[in-house]
Amino acid sequence: MIDFSGKVLLLTGANGAIGRAVARLFHGHGAACVLTDLDGGGIAGFARELDPGGDRALALRQDAAQAGDADAVVQATVARFGRIDALVTAAGLYRDRLVSEMSEEEWRQSIAINLDGVFHVCRAAIPHLAEGSAIVNIASMAGHRGSYAHAHYAAAKGGVLTLSRSLALELAPRTRVNAVSPGLIEGPMVQPLIAKKPELITNTPMKRLGTAEEVAGVVAFLCSDLARFVTGETTHVNGGLHIAS
Amino acid sequence: MSSHRGKVVLVTGAGRGIGQAIADAHAVAGASVAYLDHDPALAEAAAEAARGRGATTLAVSADVADEASVKTAVARVADVLGPVSVLINNAGISPKSGADGKRAKLGEMSAAEWRRVLDVNLTGAFLCASAVVPGMRAAGRGTIVSVSSVAGKTYCDIVGVHYAATKAALIGFTKHLAGELGPDGITVNAVAPGRIDTPLMRGTAPEANEAARMATPLRRLGSPEDVAQTCLFLTSDNAAFVTGQVCDVAGGWLMT
Repeated sequence: MIDFSGKVLLLTGANGAIGRAVARLFHGHGAACVLTDLDGGGIAGFARELDPGGDRALALRQDAAQAGDADAVVQATVARFGRIDALVTAAGLYRDRLVSEMSEEEWRQSIAINLDGVFHVCRAAIPHLAEGSAIVNIASMAGHRGSYAHAHYAAAKGGVLTLSRSLALELAPRTRVNAVSPGLIEGPMVQPLIAKKPELITNTPMKRLGTAEEVAGVVAFLCSDLARFVTGETTHVNGGLHIAS
Repeated sequence: MSSHRGKVVLVTGAGRGIGQAIADAHAVAGASVAYLDHDPALAEAAAEAARGRGATTLAVSADVADEASVKTAVARVADVLGPVSVLINNAGISPKSGADGKRAKLGEMSAAEWRRVLDVNLTGAFLCASAVVPGMRAAGRGTIVSVSSVAGKTYCDIVGVHYAATKAALIGFTKHLAGELGPDGITVNAVAPGRIDTPLMRGTAPEANEAARMATPLRRLGSPEDVAQTCLFLTSDNAAFVTGQVCDVAGGWLMT
């Protein structure tokens, strides 16, 4: 029921667990995928594995914090595939640090990647977003509820939520803009947290961690025509932890 | 997106409007669908139309506010289609009994009208969930989606206080049951439609609908199909880890 044949996806942070799952799902539904990541070698390898012929995948190195990189990947996307139908921002940086011990540089780096990075690539993409296109920004439960020892990350993700709603107002009706807030998703990012606080799984109504594929499924829905009247919305993927607020 | 083949879907208020669109979307996706409506003729016509398109459907008539009526209907669905794996609580009423033909305001609303709206819109969801959850528990999986409304989250001048109160209550209903039923593998979510072009809405003054359209970033009223597709997502495997969530389908209106 979801068909992305002939559609063009630009995906940042594509070499992460969620990014890879999004790439696989969109590619499987027929999209041409421009995959960017700070790890240029890693994303090139993943793109080859995803699309050995290279007809529907293009891997690019992108530092999310650099406005120039955002312009460059958008230009490369348009040069290769002509336009952008779906923009998914999954690039992010998640580091433990208490505010009392946080340097200004650490604060600024987190904001630069997690929030400025979304601004840079959305702004660069706007002139090339096709009629009926969609942006999905990956936010976080931290952006709603705060996060112990991740104030910089949580503040940036809270910013992503309101940036998304503001863009929904500015870009309607041509482009829909939504956010997805993953909760605890299997992978290296949450392992240390679960080791410290195993009760987080007990407190999750669905009694398990989510998977990257389960986040990707929601992203695909929001980018598809099934969600054609959904904009300015945030969808939680957290198995009911804190009952989606 | 995964197919809904093998799922048994019960949609309340499926005789027309949003409920019919939700039922039809699930039928197209391959599910067996029970079209439940208070009006037997509407239920039969909707189910028959879907059958004509090749779907497996059943028309059932019940008053969702009546426990015995709901139990009988759910038993009939189980007999004919199998145990319900997806429940869509859509049945709802929004009386327009005010002096001007619009919704009654406080002072002109009778206690009987207040109670009837609570009975249908809220108690109906409780009775239907009560009837189907034992089977979902036994199966170790299931999905419930309730149709709330943007009017349950903020002021909306075309509905009465009873309607707004029930739609807000369905959000608490949804979040609480998500917590209670998650360990059983049952997800519980809600959709909150904004201004949708339905028979219920046609009585609204054209200028009110135009104002709503201009307040909606996507610059149109929603269609029943728009709501149906978000329900279809919530009942699909793509939403397997989504529970306790209220999804607005409002074209960006208010972004509540």
